[in-house]
Amino acid sequence: MNPLAQVLVDGIFTGASYALMAAGLALILGVVKVVNLSHGAFFTLGAYVAYVLESRGLGNPLAAVLMAAVIAFAFGVFLCKSFINPVRSHPFSVAVGSLGFAILFEQAAQMLWGPHTLSIDLGAPVAVVDGVTLRRWGVISFLVSLGLLGGLSLLLSRPWGLPLKLIAEDEEIAGSVGMDVEKIRYLTFGAASSVAAIAGALLAPAATITPTMGRVPLILSLIVVIASGMEKVWNIFFLAVGLGLLSNVSAYLFAPHWSYVLLLAVICLLLVFRPKGLAAAGPARDY
Amino acid sequence: MSGPLRFRFLAFVFAAISLACAPPASAEPPAPHPNLRIGILAPLSGPFASGGSSFLEAATLAVERANEGGGILGRRVELVVADSQGRVETAKSEAMRLISREKVFGIVGAYLSEETIGAIEAATAARRILVVPVAATAEITDGVRRDYPRYRYVFRVSYSIPQWAAMMAEFLRQKQARTYAFVGAGIRWNRELAGALKTALSVHNIVPVYEAFYSPRNPAFEPVAVAAAAAAPDFLVLGDPGKNSVVFVKRIREGGSKVPILSVGGSLGDARVAASLPLTGPLYVQAAAWKGTSEAATRYVAAFEKRFGYAPVGYSDTLPHDAMTVLLSAIRAAGRQDTDSVISALEKGAFPGVAGTYRFDAAHQAAWGPGSPDLHGTVIQWEKDGARIVFPRR
Repeated sequence: MNPLAQVLVDGIFTGASYALMAAGLALILGVVKVVNLSHGAFFTLGAYVAYVLESRGLGNPLAAVLMAAVIAFAFGVFLCKSFINPVRSHPFSVAVGSLGFAILFEQAAQMLWGPHTLSIDLGAPVAVVDGVTLRRWGVISFLVSLGLLGGLSLLLSRPWGLPLKLIAEDEEIAGSVGMDVEKIRYLTFGAASSVAAIAGALLAPAATITPTMGRVPLILSLIVVIASGMEKVWNIFFLAVGLGLLSNVSAYLFAPHWSYVLLLAVICLLLVFRPKGLAAAGPARDY
Repeated sequence: MSGPLRFRFLAFVFAAISLACAPPASAEPPAPHPNLRIGILAPLSGPFASGGSSFLEAATLAVERANEGGGILGRRVELVVADSQGRVETAKSEAMRLISREKVFGIVGAYLSEETIGAIEAATAARRILVVPVAATAEITDGVRRDYPRYRYVFRVSYSIPQWAAMMAEFLRQKQARTYAFVGAGIRWNRELAGALKTALSVHNIVPVYEAFYSPRNPAFEPVAVAAAAAAPDFLVLGDPGKNSVVFVKRIREGGSKVPILSVGGSLGDARVAASLPLTGPLYVQAAAWKGTSEAATRYVAAFEKRFGYAPVGYSDTLPHDAMTVLLSAIRAAGRQDTDSVISALEKGAFPGVAGTYRFDAAHQAAWGPGSPDLHGTVIQWEKDGARIVFPRR
């Protein structure tokens, strides 16, 4: 096995898992225009759904994804309708409130499933090619994030995606042409929450399941969204994969504790030169 | 927000807050009656809540046992619980609250090395006994050696880092390892453990071939697992007792490596977690005691399982159980609820617990070690049908 080849492949997979979370967060930032700090809680919700099904002998990834998506969608719509939407013109209130919701969710998860570390069966790797292992969770993350971001990109390039683009561009104009702006906001928030929960359900076997497991993915996906900008969907994927590669290669070549420092340093440099993120590089925007 | 919707949201928030603020089932409300009040300082919320909750459960079991036997000096033992949240400042302020407001006689806690240092400051300033059940850093007992009058209130039941390293080194020597890799979390005591293990193993000519400490914020497990496996050590020592150790084992095994792993214990001692792991290579877990290491340990495991519905991990539960047992036994031996008398009893006495009999040295450190007849720890190996004790040899 060539260790560096394995590190590079793992870096792509790690980046894809960042993209999976970042996709939903970017959608909320672009359309609802709020920083949702409860996004990690939906990731955790998805992981617990996968655990509950597995512990009841129903460990089917598709069932976990569907159930997690439905529950998170309902919860997301409720949260947006009851709290996010009314206070969305006050960014600090949204940040504090959504963080509060995330902490409440952590406490509720601790009471329901206990504080102990839970774990579910990892499953065998998909394949070993020339000594390089294609980790199951990595392949799934890669394919699902490609699919999700591809689907979103397609949606935004077609007439059905026009309401999202218009609301992202100018809500008043969208409202004046008869669009139900609030309803689209709720649905977008719900759908983005579903995406986070799907990520949680898919990545649960590769992780350990605890009430606070959503914190790290939230921070990493926030970094990706802020640095990539929200306007261009594929930027999210490419930046996430780039950061995954950077993180893994630097951990391998230098030391693991340097990878986080290096990752943040690169992001800071990027934002110094391009305060609007990578999106500022091109003239066109997806939404 | 419309009226009904606002009401629904407020109702949701109220219900969620009520849930979150509900006290743990084992916590008893403070009452003005002449009980023997002992403080428990543990992280019951936040990232270390898993270990903290086992800590509380095990200490509760020890207190229930004492109360079933008629209490201590004819008085019922009452636990007063404080949540340190895994934060140094919270641990310190909660220790002060336990002492000044709750009027506890002594404290068992805290959990992490950093928060224990904060609790020591509060306890020694108020001249209250603090029994440290888990934290391993040298700083805890160094104070007793350096400034006895000030720090004599602090006793450590758990193994110190050099003792821990000595027990692991003896296991690796018996396994005839020549090389090892050390992987841990990027925290102080893990680095101290790596250094102590290197010293202890150098005596046996066992050398490190790889060493890495991952960041809890972005662990980057995959490259560490790849590099550790590529170094081809005879053993991989996993110094992280937390949840990340479980992820690391998954990463190294899914990469195809069958290197034997020796964990310091903690999350990997949990049978529910171990059942989900690929056992394609040997997985050894160090523990203070295990079902079968002694009659007391077997009785304790049975009682714990019956009371809480799962098997203890032999570390973050067993040591707090013994810390509470030792403190209560010392109060009984002193014959009165007086701090100086209890300190004297702790210094001179021998106190049986689940892991063995505890005796304290001049630095108030329990005498653990591979050569100790009383406290030598154990190592188990996970197999498909459960755990098998592999160290010490029988």
